[in-house]
Amino acid sequence: MKVTFKIWRQEGLETQGALKTYDVDRLSEDMSFLEALDHLNETLVLKNEKVIAFESDCREGICGACGVFINGRAHGPHDNMSTCQLHMRSFKDGDTIVVEPWRAGTFPIVKDLVVDRSAFDRIIEQGAYITAKTGTAAEANAILIPKEVADASMDVAACIGCGACVATCKNASAALFVSAKINHLNKLPQGQPEAHKRLLEMTTQMELENFGSCTFTAACEVECPAEISINSIAEMNARYVKAKLFG
Amino acid sequence: MSLFFKKSIIAATGLFLCIFLIVHLSANMLLLLPENLARGLYNSYSTTLRESILISIIAYLLYISIIFHVIYAGIVTYKNRQSKGVRNVMNHKNENSSWASQNMGVLGVLILIFIVVHLVNFWARVKLGIGENVKTDVAGNMDVYEVTFTLFHNIYYVIFYSILMIPLGFHLHHGLKSAFKTLGFYHKKGLKILAKTSLIYAVVMSVGFGIIPIIVYFK
Repeated sequence: MKVTFKIWRQEGLETQGALKTYDVDRLSEDMSFLEALDHLNETLVLKNEKVIAFESDCREGICGACGVFINGRAHGPHDNMSTCQLHMRSFKDGDTIVVEPWRAGTFPIVKDLVVDRSAFDRIIEQGAYITAKTGTAAEANAILIPKEVADASMDVAACIGCGACVATCKNASAALFVSAKINHLNKLPQGQPEAHKRLLEMTTQMELENFGSCTFTAACEVECPAEISINSIAEMNARYVKAKLFG
Repeated sequence: MSLFFKKSIIAATGLFLCIFLIVHLSANMLLLLPENLARGLYNSYSTTLRESILISIIAYLLYISIIFHVIYAGIVTYKNRQSKGVRNVMNHKNENSSWASQNMGVLGVLILIFIVVHLVNFWARVKLGIGENVKTDVAGNMDVYEVTFTLFHNIYYVIFYSILMIPLGFHLHHGLKSAFKTLGFYHKKGLKILAKTSLIYAVVMSVGFGIIPIIVYFK
């Protein structure tokens, strides 16, 4: 199959970027979207042109490294799917595909489709962990956790930190990501001792990083590859009030 | 001041205004009664409101709510735009979110324009005594019914009042359910009920307020 890519090319943060058109032939519809970009890059190498910079790692939807804006949607045309899980069969022969990096003031462009998502790391550093030294793996049944609680915690723990929520949000809000990281631990008994401190420090860091505020457009829950619900944000807000009152 | 606090002010004032709208619409329904009944009831109701101390306190709360709602919405929107920075060349927002949720600011501005005109039409004349003098009816009450009746026999005002209830409906639909979430309501089943309630509420308010000028026009 043959498609026309319009891909954002930008040398670095300080330089101007623009969409550049590439006609790509001999693609298979069984190729993943990232393989199609690999294929394009190989042709660019042969032509002695600079390859398109984009990120990927596991390519099986669990690492969160990949992520670009495809045809006006974060991670492409499907709901709740990461870029690496998108295949060329989702497009038609002769289609034009516009590819842009994540857009957010907090995710500065490094090069082409690569953005700097280290703001997420700095939020994680503020408390998305438990400080107690646990030694070797504890006996699994030492702390009993009701299945409903464990399930609810796992639902938000599924966040892969790809940044699609920020990219699709008109406010560049990181509320879905931050709420997932907070609720994951604060729901569990292990997270309780530092629950309020964790919440206040992580949300403070979120603001210091200059992320916007959530206005519940719900675009994030549609694009999130881990299907995290915006109810998680409402829960974070409830916990925030509790932390302010009792923390 | 934290983002959460700013959003909470918008949410709390918004919810207060939602309650006010229910009372306002209920009272406006008096206008739909036959004229001989409606005039007396509407005018005595309006006099009661003006003379009650409790209502005066609520009225001030209302002014403050509107002002805070607008100011904080402006601040938060400005801040959010700055956070976003450069926008996408192509963005199919309609595929992942409702139009109203993406355009609350635009809808809000339209409603604000409506409120200003509405206040000039009624509040300024009846309460502040600015503009044309308001007559009294046979019972000695200010004839607010007459003010309404005259206004809604001007086709341009009927169109203005009725059309602007459409953005109000969209604003209320997204605003009501989101205000609860902003304030930390996250009960799963409750949120489903809330979503339906918001839709019903928005339709009732929009159609209710929107249809009154039209009915009065043909009275």
